[in-house]
Amino acid sequence: MAHIKKYLGEIPVYLVLCLFFVISFFPVFYTFMSSFKSNMDILTTGNLLIPKEFVVDNYVKAWQLADFKTYTGNSIFLAFFCVVGTVFSSTICGYVFSRAAFKGKEIIFYFMISSMFVSLGTLTLYPLLMIMKVFHLNKSLWGVVIIRVFGMNVTNLFIARGFINSVPKEIDEAAKIDGCSFAGIYYRIIFPLCKPLIATVGILSFRSAWNDYMLPMVFTMTDPRRMPLVVGIMHLKSSGDAASSWNFMLAGTAISLIPMITIYIMFNRYFISGMTSGAVKG
Amino acid sequence: MMTQGDKAANKHMKSDNVQAMLMIAPFLIGFILFGYVPIIYILRYAFTDFGGFGECKFTGIANFVRIIKRDPDFWQSLLNAFLLAAGKLAVEIPLALGLAVLLNRKIRGMNFFRVTLFLPSIISAVIIGLIFSLLFASHNGMINAILMNAGLIAKPINWFNTKWKAMFILGLASVWQNYGINMIFFLMALQSIPQELYDCASIDGAKGIKGFFYVIFPVIAPIFQSILLVAIVGSLKICDLVIACTNGQPGGTTEVVMTYIYKSFFGKSGRNIEVGYASAMSLVTAVFLGLVTVVYLRATKKLKEIV
Repeated sequence: MAHIKKYLGEIPVYLVLCLFFVISFFPVFYTFMSSFKSNMDILTTGNLLIPKEFVVDNYVKAWQLADFKTYTGNSIFLAFFCVVGTVFSSTICGYVFSRAAFKGKEIIFYFMISSMFVSLGTLTLYPLLMIMKVFHLNKSLWGVVIIRVFGMNVTNLFIARGFINSVPKEIDEAAKIDGCSFAGIYYRIIFPLCKPLIATVGILSFRSAWNDYMLPMVFTMTDPRRMPLVVGIMHLKSSGDAASSWNFMLAGTAISLIPMITIYIMFNRYFISGMTSGAVKG
Repeated sequence: MMTQGDKAANKHMKSDNVQAMLMIAPFLIGFILFGYVPIIYILRYAFTDFGGFGECKFTGIANFVRIIKRDPDFWQSLLNAFLLAAGKLAVEIPLALGLAVLLNRKIRGMNFFRVTLFLPSIISAVIIGLIFSLLFASHNGMINAILMNAGLIAKPINWFNTKWKAMFILGLASVWQNYGINMIFFLMALQSIPQELYDCASIDGAKGIKGFFYVIFPVIAPIFQSILLVAIVGSLKICDLVIACTNGQPGGTTEVVMTYIYKSFFGKSGRNIEVGYASAMSLVTAVFLGLVTVVYLRATKKLKEIV
């Protein structure tokens, strides 16, 4: 009885949480539902949540005619290389900052994390484009990949260093006695031990690469065939026939949401722990 | 005298250090190239009339004079960013804290709510901007339909035809995007508090909201300070969401500082490409952002000292 009473007392809590569940979920649900509407229905019966008839054609046409096939391919390309690159860059940097003993290591570390306070976001887009122009990478997604991987995300650096600090030093000392070099310890011992770290950093970098807009946008401004999904959707919106292509835009939006949400449902633990561990270090 | 063994160990250590430096070098170079060189670039062009192509002339402080004297739109966009940040954080932070307190209860189903309430935080800001512009569309938007069915309004509201209505939607979209992550931050802070403290609070009769502010809040105050700083700076730098949702419409009145400067750099929305002038505006904005951080840290010093 006491058990039941306890839960009865929590009913207001559940009600509030359910309300916010609906608020969080509704816009996404609405997007998916609208993506099955014909363009006519989007423009005239926006007030109906469930489409009068489900039009799968939107997806087929968006995929073939509105170039979402290319956009999706570009997004996968961008996300793949950003994830692989970031996994290596953050484990390598985390390992060096955790284990190396050379002079000036601390200074370099603080130099790197100090950039958190001078990050200017959108303001540095133009200079970044100009820097990449020197290497002739200003018109391809490779430029974005290189900036994202070598520009080092401070959050990932924090997470990686923290994780590798928690790996017992005895393990690599034993390897050292067996004649393993510094780099050898990294790829024989530390890297294989870093699976949870790789999952966290990989998922975080997938999220930011998949959702990234401004940087890939300025790098693909002149060539729509190189645009990733999010950029492509906005390109469609700003192009002249925006009103007649809302159905493509919604189908494209759904296409961009599906992989993200699937991965989130599968790995939400890593998402939540990863996004918080770097930020709240007081 | 070093023994043979010491020498070998020494040599070993040296080669280890060389390896470590070689491993970090590419990232350090990339870091300087992409983190600091852009700042030098901006500093260099802020005092010129560079237009993106061809020659550029040193113009001294002319750009800054223009910002101060002849560009009310820039100040308007800066003010908009501040207003938007203040308005949305006034809702978002208490909301996130309240939800975190609810989620911190040890009852069934909390993990489900934690995962679902966090969902908006994984979606691209651009997609969120698009979804909200559609939800609030005037003649075929879902929100107008709901309000009309509920009998709250007689005819559809055009949400995007005045500045304040459009700003309201931007704020709403931004709260929707970010409350989940701040909620999780607060939840982490709450979970780091030992159970004994909650017990003590309830023994002393400090229950409910009063108990929270007297006993629990002081403990999480330092973390609260960092979360709020991250939220403030993040909100002031809002960009993607605005571009996707209103793109400065109606008539450039919802332009925020980041979109305004971006458009000057790249000559968007009918503006000329003015790299020099945009660099100068970037510098001014950077100074403002820095000032906000400094003032904030001073003003909230107390939060850190409580514990």
